Amino acid sequence: MKLKKVLALSLAAAMTFSLIGCGSDDGAANDTSAADNTTTEDSTPAADDTAADDTTDTAADDAADDGASTEATGVPTYSQLNVGTDYTDLTASIKWIHHKTDREEDGTIAAMVEAFNQVYPNITVETEGVTDYAEDSLLRLSTGDWGDIMFIPAVDKSDLATYFQPMDSLENMSNEINFADQWEFGGTSYGVPYMANAQGVLYNKAVFEAAGITELPTTPTEFLDCLQKIKDNTDAIPLYTNYAAGWTMGAWDAYLGTVANGDAAYQNQKFVHTANPFDDPGDDTGIYNLYRILYDAVANGLTEDDYTTTDWEGCKAMINNGEIGTMVLGSWAYAQMVEAGEHGDDIGYMPFPITVGGTQYVAAGGDYNFAINVNSSDENKTAAMVFIKWMTEESGWCFNEGGYTVDKNGQNPDMYSAFDGCTVVADQPAVAGEETLLNDMNSESELSFNAGGDAKVQEIVEAAATGSKTFDDLMAEWTQKWNDAQDYLEIEVNN
Amino acid sequence: MAAMTQTVNNSGRHKKRTFGEWARSRDGQKVFVMVAFMIIPLVLLFVFTYLPFAEMFGFSFYNMKYTGDRKFVGLKNYIRVFQRSDCFGALKLSLYYMGGSIVQLALSLYLATVLSFKVKGGSVFKGFMFFPYLINGIAIGFIFKFFYTRGFVFDTVLQWCGFSLDNLPYWLKDQSINNISLVGTSVWRYFGQNMVLFIGAIMSVDAELYEAAMLDGAGRFQQFKYIILPSIKTIITLNVILSITGSLSAFEPPYVITDGANGTGTYFVVMHEISHTQQKVGLASAMAIILLMIIFAATILQKVFFKYVFKSAEDEDLNATAKRDKKLAKLAQRKAGR
Repeated sequence: MKLKKVLALSLAAAMTFSLIGCGSDDGAANDTSAADNTTTEDSTPAADDTAADDTTDTAADDAADDGASTEATGVPTYSQLNVGTDYTDLTASIKWIHHKTDREEDGTIAAMVEAFNQVYPNITVETEGVTDYAEDSLLRLSTGDWGDIMFIPAVDKSDLATYFQPMDSLENMSNEINFADQWEFGGTSYGVPYMANAQGVLYNKAVFEAAGITELPTTPTEFLDCLQKIKDNTDAIPLYTNYAAGWTMGAWDAYLGTVANGDAAYQNQKFVHTANPFDDPGDDTGIYNLYRILYDAVANGLTEDDYTTTDWEGCKAMINNGEIGTMVLGSWAYAQMVEAGEHGDDIGYMPFPITVGGTQYVAAGGDYNFAINVNSSDENKTAAMVFIKWMTEESGWCFNEGGYTVDKNGQNPDMYSAFDGCTVVADQPAVAGEETLLNDMNSESELSFNAGGDAKVQEIVEAAATGSKTFDDLMAEWTQKWNDAQDYLEIEVNN
Repeated sequence: MAAMTQTVNNSGRHKKRTFGEWARSRDGQKVFVMVAFMIIPLVLLFVFTYLPFAEMFGFSFYNMKYTGDRKFVGLKNYIRVFQRSDCFGALKLSLYYMGGSIVQLALSLYLATVLSFKVKGGSVFKGFMFFPYLINGIAIGFIFKFFYTRGFVFDTVLQWCGFSLDNLPYWLKDQSINNISLVGTSVWRYFGQNMVLFIGAIMSVDAELYEAAMLDGAGRFQQFKYIILPSIKTIITLNVILSITGSLSAFEPPYVITDGANGTGTYFVVMHEISHTQQKVGLASAMAIILLMIIFAATILQKVFFKYVFKSAEDEDLNATAKRDKKLAKLAQRKAGR
């Protein structure tokens, strides 16, 4: 009997925590947040939340629209602020949670906060770097009590107003920053990117030279030829997949819209309505040929020997030392690769090798966005707004990280010199009323493009290495899933 | 409760007590103390175990994400779990882990038996073998990631033993053996803990029994079979049940070492992917409930199985008596015939 009881209890406990505590492998802190989440979720029903928030939001929206009536809510909009002169005597204490644990540890963030305090001595900024941010922040968000500034995690755009203070109208924001529409809903911007990324390919210039490559490739076929040359002429790994880390594989999704299809409206507007997005258009473009690069590279032995034990930290030094030819990652990775060894000068960044109609397109877009807690007090909201604008315009963070400039008047780092002649565009946002469609499709089809869908890209590598499925089979599977999801969500499909 | 009814009976015999008197009496105090001691663990249990579980059970009937609206869909989530190939396909991987747990139990039972007798350096061995259990599961994951990397620890050791690197498989890449590699890490982690539990149980066996058995001419193996095994059957049952349920819900090795990719995604890893990446919280909750049912079923089946197995072990004596009676009868017949 005792045995039964012990068993029943331990089973029940194991089952309950299995789901809720799944992401909590790295510390007790997560456990508490998970527990908090479950206990508080019911005491603050979503309906109440929205009702309460709606009133403040509409007020704030009005303020954003007519600009002058800020006294109504007491919080200035982004465009109304002048950094360095307004609110310098404001006293507040704000908390900012973010995912840049590496910058928290190496003191970069502390140094920036200190510089901020030179201008705004009475605003105390408490920072917290969160490991496993993507999952953790969502859990914290639903509790409502997470601080004043956070980086917006994967929420539905229709929920933005429930959680975040509007920054300004989209129109005003577009005059101030690039990529203002990333977290836009109903004409209002809710976020400011801390930096922006341009999507290209990291490569080692010395390896390219040794392999006898004189011109950067511009099509998938040329790129695969380059990889073959690297394999034939050097000891370097032509393309390092970074398969084991997972999220590094999901990085391939970043090229599927603007880059692969030459259409800034593709990813957020047309993709969900396309019947066969994974068919081969036959001209070395499209999503098909984007992932074909990966499949063919693995199938032809142009990647590392054992993909299951790739090491993300180790690869930085390897590409720096010329042991790796290319890696497909966003521009944010550039600075880390340069810092990882003595041959930082060898690291280059090139546009993704797909040419649509004679033009190479580069997709640029904001990284994580700063946003302000809608439930904070007015003083804290104001202080947060000041801090965010200061971070964007004065901190130099974006430039130092090698990011594409967020501030309209900002400067671009040198690494983007290879992008001359390419068309740099940001993906257009979804049309009104369809803001959540891509998220819904991602979730329903379980392909999760640009939303943590690493498993499907890893599957390409597995299929290519083991020969278990042809590339056409894989793409047919994706098409099936995509079409099923379109049916389920009753989305209008154009051919 | 028992105390309460007694109070009622007592109060019937004596004259009626007011509540205040009752509260100050020994019976009343007893009830208060009991309630006071019970309330904290019960509240904790309710708040942190049953309440979240009930929440999750509720989620399983909704089509929902972590944020945003919920839509009631009835049993659709459960139906979808059964329609998906990946959910139950993942359960097949549990067979690897069950196989591993059998190896693990056999190994730990063997070592426990050996170490429970006088062995030189016994405590040192016990310590070394129990040690892996004390390491955090995530750390173990990272240790083994490097352990299995091509040309790293494991390959180097095997090369010392004369294997050539070209003949060695890729421990995590080769889909025919990568699950076995992962199961190996879990066996390595838990066999020491099982062993210590077994040793504890074996220690409680009366040493005089061994002496008596030896006088009767029983060897070491017979001692194990007839004395040790029946004496520790409870703990064996417990360990087997925990190991099998553990293999149904294997999570850490595949999640940390291979990220559940390359054909190593167990039921839990698939559930994690569905709930956190695809954000189908309702579906994942339904998966959790179904797994709970499977575990219940597996546990009950094992209880029945062990009842049967150990019953026959106890019957051994009866058979022996019957056999002896037969032999005696034969002897008597032969005598009579002569």
